Amino acid sequence: MIPEHPPKAGANLLLLLPWLILVAMLGLTWVVWDFERTSTRKELRSEFDFALRETVNRIEQRVASYEQMLRGVQGLLTTTDLTNRKAIHDYVDTLQLDANFSGIQIVGIAQRVAEQDRAAHVATMRRLGISDYTIHPESRNDMYVLIIQREPFAGLNVAPIGFDIWPDPIRRLALEKARDTGLAAITSKVHLAIDTEAEAPSSFLMYLPVYAPGQPHNTVAQRRSNLIGWIYAGFHMKDFMASLYGKQWPGLELSIFDDVNPTASALVYRAGADSPQRPPGSAAPLTATEYMVVAGHTWTLSLSTQSEFESRFGRSAAAVIAVAGAGLSVSLALLVWFMITGRARALRLAAGMTEELRHMAQHDSLTKLPNRALFSDRLNRELARARRNGDHCALMFLDLDDFKIINDSFGHAVGDDLLREVAQRLQLAVRAADTVARMGGDEFVVLMPELKESHAALGLAEKIRAALHNPFVVDGHTLSISCSLGVAVFPDNGVDEISLTKSADDAMYRAKEGGGDRVRIGHLEA
Amino acid sequence: MNSNRPWMRTRCLIAFLLTVCAIGPACAAAFDCARTYTLALHEHGLLYSADTDSGIDKDVADELIRRSGCKVTVSLLPRARIWQLIESGALDFSLSGISNAERERYASFAWYFSNKYYLLVRKDALAQNLAAFEGNDRLQLGTIRSFRYSESANRLVDRLQAANRLNQSSGLAPLYKTLMLNHIQGMIIEPFDFPALEAKAIGDSTSIVEFNDPPVPHGLIMSKKSLAPAEQAQWRALIDGMRRDGSMRRIFDKYFKPELAASMLDFQPPP
Repeated sequence: MIPEHPPKAGANLLLLLPWLILVAMLGLTWVVWDFERTSTRKELRSEFDFALRETVNRIEQRVASYEQMLRGVQGLLTTTDLTNRKAIHDYVDTLQLDANFSGIQIVGIAQRVAEQDRAAHVATMRRLGISDYTIHPESRNDMYVLIIQREPFAGLNVAPIGFDIWPDPIRRLALEKARDTGLAAITSKVHLAIDTEAEAPSSFLMYLPVYAPGQPHNTVAQRRSNLIGWIYAGFHMKDFMASLYGKQWPGLELSIFDDVNPTASALVYRAGADSPQRPPGSAAPLTATEYMVVAGHTWTLSLSTQSEFESRFGRSAAAVIAVAGAGLSVSLALLVWFMITGRARALRLAAGMTEELRHMAQHDSLTKLPNRALFSDRLNRELARARRNGDHCALMFLDLDDFKIINDSFGHAVGDDLLREVAQRLQLAVRAADTVARMGGDEFVVLMPELKESHAALGLAEKIRAALHNPFVVDGHTLSISCSLGVAVFPDNGVDEISLTKSADDAMYRAKEGGGDRVRIGHLEA
Repeated sequence: MNSNRPWMRTRCLIAFLLTVCAIGPACAAAFDCARTYTLALHEHGLLYSADTDSGIDKDVADELIRRSGCKVTVSLLPRARIWQLIESGALDFSLSGISNAERERYASFAWYFSNKYYLLVRKDALAQNLAAFEGNDRLQLGTIRSFRYSESANRLVDRLQAANRLNQSSGLAPLYKTLMLNHIQGMIIEPFDFPALEAKAIGDSTSIVEFNDPPVPHGLIMSKKSLAPAEQAQWRALIDGMRRDGSMRRIFDKYFKPELAASMLDFQPPP
């Protein structure tokens, strides 16, 4: 049998290995997952920033293109009079304000008229063919800025001209800015004069100044004194946004507010608000606010992502990494655990098998009693011990009487069962220190160590003989048997295994010859 | 955008021999105007204001045009657009630009002043220093798109942008307004922006936190794509001449107190 060793520290550490691997693998998974999640967030942020930049650029470029268009009209007015209605009509007509400039509702001319020139101005306009031309509202001011022409003159734009826009503070602010800077200026959110309904769409106006040809306008003072009017364009915000170049980014909610305060009343445009609701538990949307200064006016752009944007430009690898990594971690830890404990189990199995083989080599397969080899080993050990201590021990040979008859009468199976029963009964009859062995057939031997007196062996032999007298019940048969016993005591009847064995064997044969069912002691050693 | 004012209009001034000679021996030879050039200004505090049609950049541009005798088309554009056009080569010059590794790829510079950056922060934000501002997640910073600053200011901007705490603008004026509305709690300013702080509302409700960085050089921005190295060198020589003969100092003295002007112009240009 393999000796049992106490578990070593190394073995205990080995058992920790699967847990260490599990922790390490889960840690690695977390690192990769976190890296992927951070990368995804950065990538999404980068796409979002790009979308914001693109949106701002598209608006700026579109405003610039409308400004360029107005500068064309401005250029025309350096060569002709502000009241040359036909030239302006023809010029705007050639611009073909179709779908490409669909943001523009109207291109118009506003003339600055001083109070003292009011009557002459009305007369001039009537002479130009507008017979019902009047200035409205009627109130008298030092100065008027009057709409004198709207193009294209169709649809809503046929509203009466002569409208004084100077008193309106929103328009006036932009008019002054354009006048003083010489640059294009955009108004805050306005209600266009051509929009007659109460719920008019959000709109704005863009003004460019027109200075008197040939007059200087290098300084603010010169610009103020030499200004004769403005060219303007009116826009519906939703049409202006629809006319932007490029494609609107999907999955983004865009709001544009007038000036810098994003209140509901300042809202001029909103798109993408009808996208599906964000799934519960999803990450917070990316948001950004940008203040655009376009033609001297500020618009606040508010952009936020929706789930469509995130699913389109984000990656879902983080979830895959988390699940796969956790799965692999557990699998690897289990594999290592099986490998480690499998080795231990194999060792235990091998030890068990070795022990079994050892037992088989030393024991009788029928009765499980020690066989001749083991018995011989124990006998020699005991002889050495007795010799060393000057002690006694005894060897007893036992042969069942007429066992052949039982075999012949009831078969070998019953005979074998009887031998097993005899073996058990012998083991019960002897002392704990005694060894009962089977030599083969119906022959048994008993080693009785540490005898205080030599005749104690005879007493034990008689006890065994009596024990076998009791009938056996084997396979439904009641069998009565007897035995012959030969006893040899060390050192009286032999001093070594050979002499002792021979003495016990002789004694047993004498018992047989005497009719069996008796005990005989060996001859004294000469 | 194109202007129809004389200084912004396409202009062509024939170099006047005596003027050229006055610049110095290095410029004794006639300036080589290979073609019509383009220069863009941007609105930013004392650098340029469209409302007053004046500013440091405009004065420097006027002086460069005068000294070179070249025809230069001047326009007013957002700063982000200026950098795009400089990179593409569609624009030759702009002014008061600072460099970084990316800009060095496509732009060359002729340095003429340096300045420090400051964080203008609302007093009620209770951020006495940069770390306190960065550490308070509720505080938003306003910056001008495409602007870069000194090293630690750039670091602050980049971190706050990653944390969704940055509001960008294409101009300075909206940032002051939103600061007063408390939509942002801080913005980065330069000495050009100090006059705005004299407005009572802004001055009373804000404080200034200095970035602990050395002054950052600013200069004439030249597009590498549109200007050959030899052309860049002659424009750089013009700037150096303006620094040497005191023209640059006279321009800065118009806008700053003499001590501040001197400190901005007294710097060692990067190699």
